[in-house]
Amino acid sequence: MNKFLGFLESKFMPFAGKLAAQRHLGALKDGIILAMPMIIIGSVFLILGFLPIPGYADFMASVFGDQWLAKLMYPTDATFNMMGLIAAFGIAYRLAERYGIDAITAGVISLCAFLLATPFNVPFTPDGATEAIAVGGAIPVAFMGSKGLFVAILIGLFSTEVYNFILKKNIVIKMPDSVPPAVSKSFVALVPGFIVITIIFLIRLVIEYFGISSIHDVVQLVLGKPLGLLGGSLIGSIVAYMLIMMLWSAGLHGTNIVAGVLSPVWLMATEENQIAFRAGEELPNIFTSQFFEVFINIGGTGATFGLAMLMLFWAKSQQMKALGKLSAGPGTFMINEPIIFGTPIVMNPLLIVPFFLTPIVLIIVTYYSMKLGLVAKPAGIAIPWTTPPIIGGYLATGGKISGAIMQAVNVVIALAIYFPFFRMWDKMKQQEEGGVNSSKVS
Amino acid sequence: MMNILLCCAAGMSTSLLVTKMEAAAKDQGLDSKIWAVSADQVKANIDQADVLLLGPQVRYLLPQMQQLGKEKNIPVDSINPIHYGMCNGAEVLKTAVALKNK
Repeated sequence: MNKFLGFLESKFMPFAGKLAAQRHLGALKDGIILAMPMIIIGSVFLILGFLPIPGYADFMASVFGDQWLAKLMYPTDATFNMMGLIAAFGIAYRLAERYGIDAITAGVISLCAFLLATPFNVPFTPDGATEAIAVGGAIPVAFMGSKGLFVAILIGLFSTEVYNFILKKNIVIKMPDSVPPAVSKSFVALVPGFIVITIIFLIRLVIEYFGISSIHDVVQLVLGKPLGLLGGSLIGSIVAYMLIMMLWSAGLHGTNIVAGVLSPVWLMATEENQIAFRAGEELPNIFTSQFFEVFINIGGTGATFGLAMLMLFWAKSQQMKALGKLSAGPGTFMINEPIIFGTPIVMNPLLIVPFFLTPIVLIIVTYYSMKLGLVAKPAGIAIPWTTPPIIGGYLATGGKISGAIMQAVNVVIALAIYFPFFRMWDKMKQQEEGGVNSSKVS
Repeated sequence: MMNILLCCAAGMSTSLLVTKMEAAAKDQGLDSKIWAVSADQVKANIDQADVLLLGPQVRYLLPQMQQLGKEKNIPVDSINPIHYGMCNGAEVLKTAVALKNK
């Protein structure tokens, strides 16, 4: 076990450091984070549209007219469902920042390139027709959301790479000295912007030549499908979660390190559910961002809310008692660094066992409860990850009591798994304290 | 006046420590400004700081941040995990003062 922990420390530190210093992953993560406040704002209107109060819909219709719900979704459509558009700008911006080049210009170039990759037409089935026709003059909203996220990521990174390359090679339009600097500066973006736009233009022409409707279709097939399978399956989710837990066991912020790769997949599932939820259709996905944030990370990664409760009410050692008082508050808001570093769980062979076991059991139990229809699936409503348990489960499922109950059940499961290990640890601490009668931590 | 910048993933859990450190500084009569930010906000805040301390969960950023600190001539270190976990404001304050005077 100590060998294993030594391995974690010696291998993961440099790995995590490299990953964090990796420009593209960092830009990807920070660029997508830019969309998060908008996604949550959009979710507020979603919650207002589907308040689970009997007679609410009728009441709203009588006050605001039949179209009340469609109107209430205007803000959701313009915030939550624009995550692709925001990411196309944000990722390029964040990457340019890391290169130390003009970030806002990079963002604008990427934004236009992203739009260029998207055909400006939408399918429409006229009355009486059997086949949909393409109607021009419209930006397809679907591709501005999570459906366009992968293309947004690729173009955001690619266009900024080109921008950086050309700037560093100094291929810019040189103006005579008599031209005011501000004027010549305005031409700096011209060459790289022109090259990026031309490349995307050519790619689109080639793809259309082969009869494929858009770059989005190709990327979806090559990237979206396989990654979706990984993030959308039970095994894939457990593997991904184990990686996060392993990093946390070494005391590293696993969620933060792995999130760059997985958040697009889970965000995509979130938006798919949101669209189905609004249409009153069967929710297609179980593994969304909220599945993990709300149902698994209760009290923080490793579902440590249960452990915090054990410490608060059953600890005998001074140290665990003190930590219980300290960690219950943050734990209620899903923050558990005091527990992870104070107990500690980090590098602690005894407590790492339930720290791994609990979330895996919770993933399996929650997954099957949702799959069998005992518990409502996450409705694609994004709530802040700091939302306390019970409230979070209720809101994230679109106001279903079963969501709140599921969270309560998960807390009890976590309590039960942590209990024997906590007892042993608490006893060890008690013995230590009995010897030296001191509550000081050294 | 001592300016201490703390950093973690989201700036949330380190903000717990800020309150404890402020209390400890007050007890010792130390005039200080202590604040917590997320990792990507460090660049925008480091110029106002005398020392930068990282939460142990982002200590993989230490080489990167030390590089930044070197450029700005600001000492950087990570916080002892146990002090961090127990929110031991007095000990972390001691670390910060020692780091500045080094």
